[in-house]
Amino acid sequence: MTTNASLTKQDGGGFGTLLRRFPFLPALLIFAVLLVLNGIFEPNSLSFRSLTGLVRTYMALMLLAVAQTYVVYAADIDLSVGAIASLVNVTIIVLMQHMGGGGLSVLAALGVGVLVGLACGLVNGFVVAALRLQAIVATFATSIFFTGLALVILPVAGMPAPTVFWRTYGGSFLGIPFVFYAAVALAILLYLLARTRLATQLLAVGDGQQAAFQSGLPVTAIRIGGYALCGVFAALAAFCITGDTASGDPLVGAKMTLFSVAAVVLGGSALSGGFGTVAGSVIAALIIGLINSLVFFAGTPSHWQNLVQGLAILAALMVGVLVSRRGRA
Amino acid sequence: MTKLKLSGVSKAYGATLALRRGDLELDTGEVHVLIGANGSGKSTLCKIVAGSVRPDAGDVLLDGRAVTVSGPRAAQALGIGIFYQELSLADHRSVAENICLPDLPKQSGFFIDRAALREKAERYIALFEAVAGAELRADTNVGDLRADQRQLVEIMKALATEAPVLIFDEPTSALDRAQVDRFFEILRDLRNDGRSIVFISHRMDEIFAIGDRVTVIRDGETIDTMAIAETTPEAVIHMMVGEQEELAAPQQAAPPAQAASTDAALTVENLTGAGFRDVSFTVRRGEILGLGGLHGQGQSALLKALFGAPPPSAGEARIARERLRTDSPRSAIAQGVAYVSGDRSRDGVITGRPILENVTPIHALRNRLVLARPGQLAEKALPALKALNTKFAGLSHSIGSLSGGNQQKIVIARWLIDKPDILLLDDPTKGIDLSAKTDLFALIRRLAEEGLAIVLYSSEDAELLNNADRILVFNGGAVSRELSGAERTRYNLYQAAYEAA
Repeated sequence: MTTNASLTKQDGGGFGTLLRRFPFLPALLIFAVLLVLNGIFEPNSLSFRSLTGLVRTYMALMLLAVAQTYVVYAADIDLSVGAIASLVNVTIIVLMQHMGGGGLSVLAALGVGVLVGLACGLVNGFVVAALRLQAIVATFATSIFFTGLALVILPVAGMPAPTVFWRTYGGSFLGIPFVFYAAVALAILLYLLARTRLATQLLAVGDGQQAAFQSGLPVTAIRIGGYALCGVFAALAAFCITGDTASGDPLVGAKMTLFSVAAVVLGGSALSGGFGTVAGSVIAALIIGLINSLVFFAGTPSHWQNLVQGLAILAALMVGVLVSRRGRA
Repeated sequence: MTKLKLSGVSKAYGATLALRRGDLELDTGEVHVLIGANGSGKSTLCKIVAGSVRPDAGDVLLDGRAVTVSGPRAAQALGIGIFYQELSLADHRSVAENICLPDLPKQSGFFIDRAALREKAERYIALFEAVAGAELRADTNVGDLRADQRQLVEIMKALATEAPVLIFDEPTSALDRAQVDRFFEILRDLRNDGRSIVFISHRMDEIFAIGDRVTVIRDGETIDTMAIAETTPEAVIHMMVGEQEELAAPQQAAPPAQAASTDAALTVENLTGAGFRDVSFTVRRGEILGLGGLHGQGQSALLKALFGAPPPSAGEARIARERLRTDSPRSAIAQGVAYVSGDRSRDGVITGRPILENVTPIHALRNRLVLARPGQLAEKALPALKALNTKFAGLSHSIGSLSGGNQQKIVIARWLIDKPDILLLDDPTKGIDLSAKTDLFALIRRLAEEGLAIVLYSSEDAELLNNADRILVFNGGAVSRELSGAERTRYNLYQAAYEAA
């Protein structure tokens, strides 16, 4: 029927098509605006040195946002990412301390850290997908449990990280800061992960669990896989926290959990699942970083900073939503 | 040779017995039609074979061996593929990913082999190339496709399993004639290759065009299996409806044009919107105006626009003398416009909620109810449900426990508590069994007699010819012809519909 073709709705122009392919475009736009604003208030903030500092500080949030994105793909949520990061943070600090703080002991501790993150993710996945508890409540409960474990391992914050560890994280090789190598490695990792069967299957589950089940997908295993991936990235985030703070703190990650959720939404992913990109979450984590530094550079009095930060994040969310809607309409 | 044999299969959902005693013998190299009123257990039987529903009792024999189909994955491993009536597509994934979703091509264990994915998908897309429309490409998101294209993707997905046993549960409900013809060609090829195919449809002509044998199910029990060549549509309908045959016998004679009152209830002038243009007509109180033509020629879009979802871009509609505000469904409802969609699961049913909540939202909205008192609401709801002959166990049961036909009755009942002036019916009987259809049209006629103005779009020509007082035939988004009185014949309808297409 030739008439059918002419009757279908047209795409919402070039921007609509672009937005569909790159849902993180609004986030990128906000990012650019914030960068300019930062530059206006404090020209120094755009220096290589300051940007390195920004990436170094917010690498952890980027990784946590990525972690959160994979569970949100499948329409799940993980309120324990921060707690996992705390647990991994104290675990590797204590291990490195016990093993003497040499290069090998650091690597061994990092290996254990990844396994701890993976284990936490598997626990979450088991509780949510296999026992079918509500993700939001179940991971809230596991977050308390993980925090409890962290407090047992290191009751008081403050045990220092070995010098070799934080020197590496804060240092440079061949004139390029370590965090940029880490960022490139992350980009490659994310690129590869986006091409895995698991990523597509997670998104398919998020689009409709019943449909995915009826298509023959192992829905429970896929959701557990998402949580496992989330746990591993939370562990990687913990490494960055440790490198940045150079010490152990059993409560360090707690306040980052909801920031990770905010970053996922800001990055253009749908909390209802099935739609989103990790790139968007990474950009959004940087947006949150830039908002915080902007609030500081703009000379906001310290007791007003939280208020302004909150408003700025709300504004960023609104702009993101409005731009996406305009593009899709 | 018998490929698949089901004997004495049963399934109950809570108190509702979906399938009492299902028997089916599927031969190698045949198209086996399964027919029965909605709620008779066809879909349940199919889902048991496909593993997405586990039977309470009964045996499944595949190639003579007893098998347990423990889930959809197990079914795939056993070589059973299925087209789901409600579709099993992921809206945000591409056509290619959806087609290959059950078995994404692997590359070194973890990764998707993009080239293989595309190549595999293109193979199945190519099968429908001539009839699918240009948007149906491997990289289009399924959510951006029309209903008929989505249905084609689900067909491709079922075909891509390359399973020896293929089940199609109402695969043609959204397809146009050319698409159905192409699909049937493919089915015949598959049959000639020795595949075993189960085919469900409510369209009698399709059943007789494609089927080798037909099995009739009634009230959850297999009644009989016959060779298509040795039976007639009348005989099949007779078996389907059993004792209640008079309900199902199609009225051949069109109803007499109503002595409708002369005052216009709804006047539409030069209305234009997405998918239709420059449409003008008048509906009088007590009149049923039919919208006909091929699928997707603007009929649904027009009805939705009159309901404000989304509003039309130009033109005017008037109710009696007042201008109809079509800015949102909310204001349309306030002005006494009712809209019933054939896409129940998307536009009608509030899934997972009790029947009572599904009957009363419009009542609550029109009366600005703040508190819901179930006792009072039930008093309002029950007469409306009764008027429709709705079968249900209790108002507090989930709407999901009902068959498609009964769900649609609930959705219609929602509008009848406070009578509207205009009733817009957008293919209201899609996927509904014959006896429920008969109930519905009897009710629609009764409502018209009570003075409602009704606009009816139906994808089934017989429904329009039998029930509409006048028919506007749509073609390419505009009205190509108006048929009234003795002009309302199948010939005229087809001629106007196919004219420029």
